[in-house]
Amino acid sequence: MRRRLRVGLLYSLSGTYALLSQGCRAGALAAIEAVNGDASLPIEIEAVERDPAGNIDRYAPLAEELLRGERVDHIVGCITSWSRKEVIPALEKTGGTLWYAAPYEGFEANDHVVYMHACPNQHILPLMRYAIPRFGVRAFLVGSNYIWGWETNRIARDLVHDAGGSVLGERHLALGDEDVGRIVEEIRQTRPSFVLNNFVGATSYAFLKAYAELGECDPWFASANCPVLSCNLTEAELGAIGRAGEGHIAAGPFFDTRPTGAGARRSSFMMAAESAIRVLAQTVVQGGGAGGALDLARGPFDTPFGRIAFDLQTRHAHLPVHIARIEDGRFTIVDGSCGLVAPDPYLSRYDPHTAFARTLRVVS
Amino acid sequence: MTRQRIPNLGGARAVILHRPHDVVDALARQLSAIGLVPEPCWPDLPASVVAADFLFFDADMGFDAQFPWAAGAAPLPTIMLIGSEAPGRIEWALSREANAQLLKPVGSAGVYSSLLIARQTFERRMQQTAEIETLRERVAERQTIVRAVAVLGGDGGEEAGFDRLRHLAMDWRVTMEEAAARVMAASGEPPRTGPAKRRAG
Repeated sequence: MRRRLRVGLLYSLSGTYALLSQGCRAGALAAIEAVNGDASLPIEIEAVERDPAGNIDRYAPLAEELLRGERVDHIVGCITSWSRKEVIPALEKTGGTLWYAAPYEGFEANDHVVYMHACPNQHILPLMRYAIPRFGVRAFLVGSNYIWGWETNRIARDLVHDAGGSVLGERHLALGDEDVGRIVEEIRQTRPSFVLNNFVGATSYAFLKAYAELGECDPWFASANCPVLSCNLTEAELGAIGRAGEGHIAAGPFFDTRPTGAGARRSSFMMAAESAIRVLAQTVVQGGGAGGALDLARGPFDTPFGRIAFDLQTRHAHLPVHIARIEDGRFTIVDGSCGLVAPDPYLSRYDPHTAFARTLRVVS
Repeated sequence: MTRQRIPNLGGARAVILHRPHDVVDALARQLSAIGLVPEPCWPDLPASVVAADFLFFDADMGFDAQFPWAAGAAPLPTIMLIGSEAPGRIEWALSREANAQLLKPVGSAGVYSSLLIARQTFERRMQQTAEIETLRERVAERQTIVRAVAVLGGDGGEEAGFDRLRHLAMDWRVTMEEAAARVMAASGEPPRTGPAKRRAG
């Protein structure tokens, strides 16, 4: 008799970042199906779903409903940091765990969260180290007007400064705002070496479209000369972006490099949610199936990211780091780590003197 | 745009002055997660505390004799750990002039911000203390200026004296107070104010 483990899924299937949520949900459901299809495992997983529909105020009550009402111990969910921070008090009250499968801005290590996607030393730092020597040190930063945009741009500002560069502008727009004209005009006026895009969802699509139009009129803004860089752009959104994404660059723990026609495109969001279920299943099986007990020290765990371990102090995953460029509607990896990169969510091991050693100029 | 860069805390030493307790374990775990090196101790502070980067101390059971410095004169940023909010304990903890506070029990949240607040408050206080010291010196030297102006002015009066003193200060590249002190020393009159510290000129 297989024991049944109920796991909450908390994803917004509508709203501005629905494509990312749908990617995560599909990954989690695929992993659940795989676990349930493996008769050798002593557990079966039942998904219990709640949909906040992109409404930030729905996250906390729905998390509470899953944790108390449905009595689940584990929730795979949340895309934005804003929603994660909304859910944390409910987790702390009930002793639940959130498996968070989106890249985020770091500077958090909560005992009730397992961080399955990239943190700053696994996205923005390698992205800047790749881009600055190739494109230049004059940055223009844009982002959605909440913690992800603010914090990732704050880190980028420090990194650009450490590389001897300058930030020509930093602009934020509300989540869902598609009025990007003024920002694109400012970018045209300042002529940076690259644009760092920390917009989320519809704003990002509108921005890339307007930027592609700019590139058609002015060769400076062709993606080969002044690319748009992202830490959160994945296959999940390539369809929404279309041709406007060509030549732009992203960092992430996974890119789907299979040839065209090899099946539906997978994204790192999907892989991270799938990994969450796989790690959860492995810890429960190894732990003899006791309650919802979670012991990340039992790793390494087999996941779509490879055989990964966790940093036990911060509960962040060791992850691969890849830099990829969009070519013909899919990502091509152009740089990255050979192995896994240990997480450093507080950038406490970051050394400004060596991070950009190759790009630093001699100051007389 | 000016902006204070968030300091990198990696490798910083944080001494925790608290009796062995779950609070210490939770705090040490969170400090390690942020990248600091926690050093619990009780009831005595190790001599090495003066070279540490942060000191957490217990507001509940702490006492003055634990600190090898006067209240308000800690050489590093301090953070008080408050458990019981008994007025007497708060009063004592306030007398130590901590730079930030953290409520017990310690969870995943609060530690990082307490470190940043403590460091910034500490640095600002050090800066203000130095500024106040300089201003005090200047106030103390006012009497010297008045007398130097009288000596230098001679028959020309106060305005001429002040003008000469200003020129001397510019020539010597020192403050007006320093120039006045030199004038008085040269005139052979004993200084009337206390022996204020002279800044290297």
